[in-house]
Amino acid sequence: MGEEQKKEVLKGNFTTRKPVLADDMERDLTDEFELEALKRLGGSIAFVSKKKLLFGMDEGKSPKESDKA
Amino acid sequence: MSKITSAKVRDLGFDNARKNAARIRGGKTIAELRIPELIENSSALVIAAGPSIHRYDTAGIIKRSQFNGTIIVTDSAMSWCLRNGIIPNLVVTLDPHPHRIARWFGMRDLTEGSILADDYFARQDMDPEFRRDQLGFNNELLELVNAHGPSMRIAISSSVAESVADRVVDARMDAYWWNPMYDDYEDPESLTRKIHSMNNLPCVNAGGNVGTACWVFAHAVLQKTHVGIVGMDFGYYSDTPYSSTQYYKEIVDLVGPDRLDDVFVRIFNPHLHREFYTDPAYLAYRDAFLEMISEASRVYNCTGGGILFGPGINWISLGDFLSRDWN
Repeated sequence: MGEEQKKEVLKGNFTTRKPVLADDMERDLTDEFELEALKRLGGSIAFVSKKKLLFGMDEGKSPKESDKA
Repeated sequence: MSKITSAKVRDLGFDNARKNAARIRGGKTIAELRIPELIENSSALVIAAGPSIHRYDTAGIIKRSQFNGTIIVTDSAMSWCLRNGIIPNLVVTLDPHPHRIARWFGMRDLTEGSILADDYFARQDMDPEFRRDQLGFNNELLELVNAHGPSMRIAISSSVAESVADRVVDARMDAYWWNPMYDDYEDPESLTRKIHSMNNLPCVNAGGNVGTACWVFAHAVLQKTHVGIVGMDFGYYSDTPYSSTQYYKEIVDLVGPDRLDDVFVRIFNPHLHREFYTDPAYLAYRDAFLEMISEASRVYNCTGGGILFGPGINWISLGDFLSRDWN
């Protein structure tokens, strides 16, 4: 059953306790799809929102020896 | 937007960082790129491998100009630059893909079998030369990169596959290491912080792709105040078949072959008065780029195509950008 058919069948045969915000639901579904698509598509690497472009630059002039790797 | 990175990319990046640890310990970091030769000019040109560089006489315009700023290029654009006699001041490589990225450098062990196993280079729109006689072209590229390798610097991410790291050494390129940011480094459980504590490399917010990473290097690492970008389309010309787009197979897997028109987004470019189309990944990269740019660095998009326009982006011709005195 398509989305339009579902809407036709379901509308008007019950009363919701809370108001349903159809626009928000559709936007949430779009966001969810985009997020799912991006997870699947991957990409080269991350984009970290609202963060500085560089971290550890001043202390990184030469890599220290480490046994953790 | 902060959730773009898939677990797959995180795992691959971390795994590669561990495998590259010995190479990193003996190498230089991007902090050492701040030398007079690279920072004395206030301008840079970033060259990415978007389809527009092939739709104009991009190489001719660059070569005929008297541009004396820093030229920073993506790994995917390096071959095009060298073939056209443009020697970059800095190449940037980032993608952790296990075998595709080394192809941009020319691979020593490329076989007909490996070409048949992955048709990406036969489909992609970034460099048409990679689609023809793949084995023969690869051999030509090997020689070209070997010839110019010693005169090129490369900002090499800890996330790259060993095949890329080995090829950089093989071509005697001058390598400078860095870590990409995977997440919020202020989070105590941050993978970025974990990798940084492992190798002590500077971490760069790469914006999701190597083209944006090049801009970050120009703006934040080399502190350029005027950065022109070319070949950064983040989209496709309307005559490009879906099968030539970057994530075609992944998108087909996601929604099936009959719903592709629902996934690809059409965007009207008001500067060119024409429409381009894009996919969810490129759209996210474009949004990320618009979020990252600031007034501190003026961005001049000289691509002449695609969807990268908006607040903070100056849309000018490549010739105009290259001819101005930015100092």
